[in-house]
Amino acid sequence: MISKSAAERVLAEAVRSGGDFAELFMEDTRSSSLNLVDGAIDSATTGRTHGAGIRIYHGLEGIYVHTNDTSEAGLMKAARQAASAIGDANAARDIRLTGSIVRNIHAIERLPMDVSGAEKSRLVHAAYQAAKDYDSAIRQVRVSLMGKETDVLIANTEGLFTGDRRVYTRFSVVAMASNGQENQTGSQAPGAMMGYELFRDRVDVEARARRAAETAVTMLKADKCPGGYMPVIIDNGFGGVIFHEACGHSLEATQVALGNSEFCGKLGQQIASPIVTAVDDGTIANEWGSLNIDDEGTPTNRLVLIENGILKNYMIDRLNGRRMKMAVTGSARRQDYTFAPTSRMRNTFIAAGSDDEAEIIATAGDALYARQMGGGSVNPATGEFNFAVMEGYLIKGGKIDRPVRGATLVGKGSEILMKIDRVGKDMKMAQGMCGSRSGSVPVNVGQPMIRVTGITVGGR
Amino acid sequence: MEVNEFIKKLFDRAAKAGFEASEADYAGSEEFSVSVKNGEIVDYSVSAGMGLGFRALSKGKMGYASTQVLDEDALDLLISGAAENAALIENDDEEFIFVGSKSYPEMDVYNGEIDRITAAEKIDMARRLEKACVSLDPRVTQCEAVEIMSGSSARRLVNSRGLDVSFRENYIGLYAGVLAQENGEVTSGSAIRLARDPKKLDIEAEAAKAVKEAVDGLNADKAISGEYKVILRNDVAGSILRTFASVFSAEAAQKGFSLLKGREGEIIGSPALSIVDDPLNPASPGATPFDGEGVATRRLDIVSAGRLNTLLHNLKTAKKQGVETTGSASKPSYTSPVGVAAHSMHVVPSGLSPEQLVEMAADGVLITDVQGLHSGANQISGDFSLGARGFLIEGGKVTRPVSQITVAGNFFELLKNVTAVADNLDFAFSSVASPDLLIGKLAVAGK
Repeated sequence: MISKSAAERVLAEAVRSGGDFAELFMEDTRSSSLNLVDGAIDSATTGRTHGAGIRIYHGLEGIYVHTNDTSEAGLMKAARQAASAIGDANAARDIRLTGSIVRNIHAIERLPMDVSGAEKSRLVHAAYQAAKDYDSAIRQVRVSLMGKETDVLIANTEGLFTGDRRVYTRFSVVAMASNGQENQTGSQAPGAMMGYELFRDRVDVEARARRAAETAVTMLKADKCPGGYMPVIIDNGFGGVIFHEACGHSLEATQVALGNSEFCGKLGQQIASPIVTAVDDGTIANEWGSLNIDDEGTPTNRLVLIENGILKNYMIDRLNGRRMKMAVTGSARRQDYTFAPTSRMRNTFIAAGSDDEAEIIATAGDALYARQMGGGSVNPATGEFNFAVMEGYLIKGGKIDRPVRGATLVGKGSEILMKIDRVGKDMKMAQGMCGSRSGSVPVNVGQPMIRVTGITVGGR
Repeated sequence: MEVNEFIKKLFDRAAKAGFEASEADYAGSEEFSVSVKNGEIVDYSVSAGMGLGFRALSKGKMGYASTQVLDEDALDLLISGAAENAALIENDDEEFIFVGSKSYPEMDVYNGEIDRITAAEKIDMARRLEKACVSLDPRVTQCEAVEIMSGSSARRLVNSRGLDVSFRENYIGLYAGVLAQENGEVTSGSAIRLARDPKKLDIEAEAAKAVKEAVDGLNADKAISGEYKVILRNDVAGSILRTFASVFSAEAAQKGFSLLKGREGEIIGSPALSIVDDPLNPASPGATPFDGEGVATRRLDIVSAGRLNTLLHNLKTAKKQGVETTGSASKPSYTSPVGVAAHSMHVVPSGLSPEQLVEMAADGVLITDVQGLHSGANQISGDFSLGARGFLIEGGKVTRPVSQITVAGNFFELLKNVTAVADNLDFAFSSVASPDLLIGKLAVAGK
């Protein structure tokens, strides 16, 4: 992308006006997507994203400039523009970069761009047919494939000069069931930091399509969920979105460093029920939220956030690490070069516990069982979160009674964490896109089945 | 290479490669933002970007590809990408590269004054905004975020059939998120506004709004679960309409994703409800003289006194249904395929003040914030169930704050349950907006 000596000149230009740290991030991304609706492929796109961002620190100030012009002249111009935001001092600094090779732990076999249109077409058609055939109430199915290959180069004034390649493949299916008056949907969207071996090794698109159809058909026949305050059982997999929203965002230095989190100053304190251990792990091979190095060039790690209810770590990027006087955790991420990085989650999950799943339901009394979660959001400052239940069931006297639809869970993260009274044994992860200050990034959420003694359930 | 040269070469090669027609969508933008905390700059960002989207017809199928690099490689990538993508298309819809409308509306939404505001002046504005937020009430001890942003964007749509239209706009805006604290409880309030005229960006007034929202929300209780008359404040009503705006798309309807399919001419809402798409209103961030296919835009009455006049069409969906395009082709980014969307949709305001709506409600709930629109709302079923906060309305007055509640319903039922519409239409930052709406009944869950 750019030579080491050119990167040295650009970084030297960036710190000329008195900045005490500068970073260059370059990106070249090729992406493609394919959509099938109504049994026919109706759109296909290919794109190339290319650009660079230059970041300068001046004490606790962060300056960011980005551009599409990645010629050396273009980068020098961006560096000068960033430097001018600090002042007009002119102090030459000699920058020496040392190349470092990143050890790739995410083996890729078949790049998405190399897979033929015919093969992609076969996959989406197979998924479409599987969903359609599931039930005559399935009236519409939308299937998509997304592939992305990103090369990044990261250099900074501490001498770092490194790069990484990230390959993503994702499949999504939305099935719609209808009875003429009402529509209900179900969806599945598995993905990984992998090529098309994803569909050989991990994801059966037809089984996923049938699962989406099952949700849609079940919800079409479901009653509206009654609202109120009740115990809630959340299943494994995408159920982990509760931890992501209720707690994860509030443990990002993005929030903590500026005093915007309800968990500020709580390291070493109990913030969750003693049966809760939660981890953010960027190192799991080929997982959707994994990275060899983060977007500041720091190798990722496995970070225990909460151990037996005690808050152990925050997720910390470089600038907020300065603000907090704490070390980075390989958690700095950005959607692309148009965003300055900040601390974000990677693969975040509640670790497996020791409770039996059948017992969790049998001893719940009257409760809501959220089998499939939708997405959610949180206000980290107040901890108030909300999320949607895509497929829910009422539990009466410890038995699953009937499906219900339209439920939303609302509450405060700090309160919910303390109210977890069961953690199951079977931890599963699922994929999502997480949106925050530095854009939309791929993350895994995960957990075993958990039970919360009480949550406000929104329904009708 | 220079963009005109690039486009010329691109069209030449496309013709040689056998494409029947081709189109380039060139977008450029510049953006600036600065955030402060305790008077210090915490984020400062400057950007300049451009991209070029290409689409072309091959044997009647449309292929798409896009790039952020304008070099020889990019020419090859666009031509081969569009050819491969066109070959994948399996539906038989007729596709269009448009020759151009007879005339286009005049639109002046580029304000040179914004360009003359220096970075230093914008930093000062951010500091002033933060200071205003923390000095208005002792319970507001800090801001969660304070930001001043400005930007400009330019778009040019040019094709091999003679269309060549362009448009540019700019804005300056602010965001203030404040935190109020009392007895260990934290509440937040915010203000966000984009303006085309810097004089209309009233820093002190926006700070006061954010502070009032945070402070008024203190000591909130949960509402008792039940059905209530509900007033959706203008920004909340606007964001719900924005979330469900796609139900008015003929594309969604033709694919079976909208329950409004085939309902043109029918009553779908209450007599109090009229909805328009008005891309000619310069106050809206969605103002534009042409749509994503280069068709001239116009004001469109979508719903009049509850009756659905038309769905939104682009050239393809219109042809399929045997009607004229409504100039509603969407192409939100140069990378996007052409779809259908409103440019600047809003509920038509009435002559009633927000206070009159509260009196009409007598008893109910005023919703001032909803969360979870991306997850708790389903455009296909119309169902929504959202985290919310607001105030109780008792005896025709706004009384106590309520938080950690949910509000749930169905968008299509909501359209029928609009009892009254207020006069306070405000685009603020969004191209979809509404005045306050009084809804006959909605389910609220709390305690």
